[in-house]
Amino acid sequence: MGNDIARQFAHLPHEEAVETIAAHIAKFWGPPMRATLVSLAERGDDSIDPLLADAAKRL
Amino acid sequence: MTLLETFWAPEPDFGTPAVESVTGAPEANVTIDGRSVSVPVGTSVMRAAAEAGIEVPKLCATDSLGAFGSCRMCLVEVDGMRGTPASCTTPCVDGMVVATQTEQVTALRRNVMELYLSDHPADCAGCARGNCEMQSLATTVGAAEVRYGLGKNHGVSATYDASNPYFDFDQSACIVCSRCVRACSETQGTFALTVEGRGFDSKISPGGTDFFSSECVSCGACVQACPTSALQEKSVIELGMPTRSVDTTCAYCGVGCSFRAEVAGSGDDAQVVRMIPSKSGGANEGHSCVKGRFAYGYAAHKDRQLHPMVRDSIDDEWRRTTWEEAIAKAASGFQAIQADHGIGSIGGISSSRCTNEEVYVVQKLVRAAFGNNNIDTCARVCHSPTGYGLSQTFGTSAGTQDFQSVEEADVILLIGANPTDAHPVFASRMKRRLREGAQIIVADPRKIELVRSPHIEAAHHLPVLPGSNVAFVNAIAHVIVTEGLHDVDFIRERCENIDAYLEFIADQSNSPEATAAATGIAPEELRSAARLFATADNGAIYYGLGVTEHSQGSTMVMGMANLAMITGNLGREGVGVNPLRGQNNVQGSCDMGSFPHEFPGYRHVSRDDVRGIYEELWGKTLDPEPGLRIPNMFDSAIGGQFRGLYVQGEDIAQSDPNTTHVEAALRAMDLVVVQDLFLNETARYAHVFLPGTSFLEKDGTFTNAERRINRVRPVFAPKQGKDEWQITCDLAAAMGYEMDYESSAQIMDEIASTTPTFTGVSFASLDAAGSLQWPVNEAAPHGTPTMHIGEFVRGKGRLVETVYVPTTERSTRRYPLILTTGRILSQYNVGAQTRRTPNNTWHAEDVLEIHPADAEMRGISTGDLVQLASRVGTTTLRAEVSERIPAGVVYTTFHHPVTGANVVTTENSDWATNCPEYKVTAVQVGVANSMEASHEAAASGDLVDHQ
Repeated sequence: MGNDIARQFAHLPHEEAVETIAAHIAKFWGPPMRATLVSLAERGDDSIDPLLADAAKRL
Repeated sequence: MTLLETFWAPEPDFGTPAVESVTGAPEANVTIDGRSVSVPVGTSVMRAAAEAGIEVPKLCATDSLGAFGSCRMCLVEVDGMRGTPASCTTPCVDGMVVATQTEQVTALRRNVMELYLSDHPADCAGCARGNCEMQSLATTVGAAEVRYGLGKNHGVSATYDASNPYFDFDQSACIVCSRCVRACSETQGTFALTVEGRGFDSKISPGGTDFFSSECVSCGACVQACPTSALQEKSVIELGMPTRSVDTTCAYCGVGCSFRAEVAGSGDDAQVVRMIPSKSGGANEGHSCVKGRFAYGYAAHKDRQLHPMVRDSIDDEWRRTTWEEAIAKAASGFQAIQADHGIGSIGGISSSRCTNEEVYVVQKLVRAAFGNNNIDTCARVCHSPTGYGLSQTFGTSAGTQDFQSVEEADVILLIGANPTDAHPVFASRMKRRLREGAQIIVADPRKIELVRSPHIEAAHHLPVLPGSNVAFVNAIAHVIVTEGLHDVDFIRERCENIDAYLEFIADQSNSPEATAAATGIAPEELRSAARLFATADNGAIYYGLGVTEHSQGSTMVMGMANLAMITGNLGREGVGVNPLRGQNNVQGSCDMGSFPHEFPGYRHVSRDDVRGIYEELWGKTLDPEPGLRIPNMFDSAIGGQFRGLYVQGEDIAQSDPNTTHVEAALRAMDLVVVQDLFLNETARYAHVFLPGTSFLEKDGTFTNAERRINRVRPVFAPKQGKDEWQITCDLAAAMGYEMDYESSAQIMDEIASTTPTFTGVSFASLDAAGSLQWPVNEAAPHGTPTMHIGEFVRGKGRLVETVYVPTTERSTRRYPLILTTGRILSQYNVGAQTRRTPNNTWHAEDVLEIHPADAEMRGISTGDLVQLASRVGTTTLRAEVSERIPAGVVYTTFHHPVTGANVVTTENSDWATNCPEYKVTAVQVGVANSMEASHEAAASGDLVDHQ
């Protein structure tokens, strides 16, 4: 689902996209899901969209 | 408990419709039988008399239909006019003096009545039941004897048609007044009835066949209009006339029709005789559909569960028990799970079929007693994108208009909705407006009834391919902006993000030509439709689940909001963005804080000020973080973290996508508590069953698609002995958290005291007003029929760059067709209610519609059993070869668990809200040999293919 969110904002400038994705996830995802995402991003899981990975760093 | 119960009497009938009173418009002051009355010019003499308290005899007139002037019973004398004009067709003019009871008109009426009676059976059963206007009128006009012989056509050779499951047609009792024919055309808009023959041979006919085989949609308008008992509910024939009535609200779709439940008997023997739609109902104004009027029998069906039940394992048999033991088992089970697995290991799901008060206490249970925000609602799987999209653009999660607004619309853009099947009473309003000359653009893959039906022809049918809605709406907006048809003043004054949006939408990539491959729409046809919408004085957008249930559902809602804003179609009657909500209380369940990130009134859980309100009132520290959505609950259950669920009134095992996944999640939980009328599919995985109440036993409110808060009043006491809100409160108490209410009215008082849009709402204010549309507060004490007048709730409307991102669910060589789903008129959602009524007569099973070209290449004919397979599952159902759908697309409904349409739908969902993408599933169809069980095959993984 995170990748779906990232795809929606891929048209924005990188910084704006990352901020928007992070804000959306912070607003709608609970702590366990956010933690899972952050963990995957930190591990460099290649199934994660690069924009999402950057957004995960701001959660 | 507020009953608003009265002894039975027919609703007052003013004979002809009211003429709208316009401020400043001239009134006619008339004198009728010596009484003065002032009415709007154009009001009939009959109605003016009724408003003055004088009843003019009538047979062919009723105030839901235009004046007809055929029965000649309502003759009056008017000073200065020759003859005896019919009062129903004679408009009042200022200074008119009318006499309704002169010797001349009395004699005329008596003679006319004598002629009617000569053709009416002397042993008429309807007259004996006391349900015949003509019989009582005969007494009124003094027609004591009949000097003529028995009418040869109607008395002897008349037919008796009992083919309809809900009403009979006894031609011998028919006086051919045409009220039924006019009700079918004017009120319902179906034109199924006609008068065959001429003169004395005239007969009412459902198109030369019987009612069941005809075009009749069984709305019952004809039965209600009939002044004799020629058209009569079977229930009245069986049970007799009612003795009392209760005003309440239908529990089916989001139209939220008001009804009088008419009842006979008392105590345990009391039974609903019939449901009569209320003329004063704001949503329906006296009309109904086959579900609301007739399909209430499920409430007394033998499958109804009236006792709490428990079992230790889902493989055990259920064991009846006491409320105390069942609630204690649920409470201790939830507490044990939390002790072992943490506060967040349990959650609840509320239902859009339950009242606002019931939903409110469920979310309170979860937040205050469970101590987390793991509360979600079945709106998740239907209109959650509406909430997100309209909130982002307009600032509130609701439609902008009331239903009446459509009567001012000039061009209607209908997207992904099939109102004649799913919202039939609103569809009748819409069809009436179309017959008056408004135009409609239908954007839907299927040729739905509003594309072409009697007296309806869409200006454009745009068969948008499933999954391409955003490309479609962007293309419409592109044409409007690039051709300079947008409302520059409205945009400049009322919107923000203007330049970025206009630059985005004008980009060639959004043009009809560039998007045609995705949408399947011929560019010139789309351009023409865009021009029509943009140049309408009032352009109104109506939409349904064909918009929301996509991976880009939220984006599409924002795209439609953009379209309304750039054309200036907001903030007045006849315009707007109007979601047609699926269930009766989708709007209300969302309003009541059923989403895991929001308190009631759509306020985020992270807001300290809002949390403070509830923490002080509830005496608990509340979680500031969002909880789990339904799909997250399922995933977490399979992962082993989420282990206990309280489900009120939703059958997730049947209604949610990818049934195999849902069942695996339910099976993985330690405790599932189901509260429902029936042992539904979800109950197969439950450990505690708590019996619920039907709408006929509820005391509370529903909020419909136009934000109208309607009272639901109990016709009977709860059949299982407990109000549903009380069950939830008992569960909270057993978990150590008291939720004390003396009544559901007190719950609404708590809602009003904590929710800014509800501050003026109480059972008392609703009883006084009939209904109220939120916001109801100091700024709008009488409610808000039209929103965003002058200013959006968020201030400026936000234009959003709605980029088209195609779904990842695409047809492949292995799954070359796209399945899309919908509803049929006679059934409702998963069918738990309607399948337990005679509505099954019309739709006993789900069928797969397939285009002739797709059918031919697979050797499929109508009636064949076919196997429908997707990458997640397979099921078997019968095919119907049809040109209603385009080649490459197949369609089915999801009303029957035996079919299990959601066995094949996937977990793809809306990017913003997780609303499932029910409308787009890549499938293959082939001839099947039998109705073989397919769940097992899917579960084994044999059919899984992640191509």
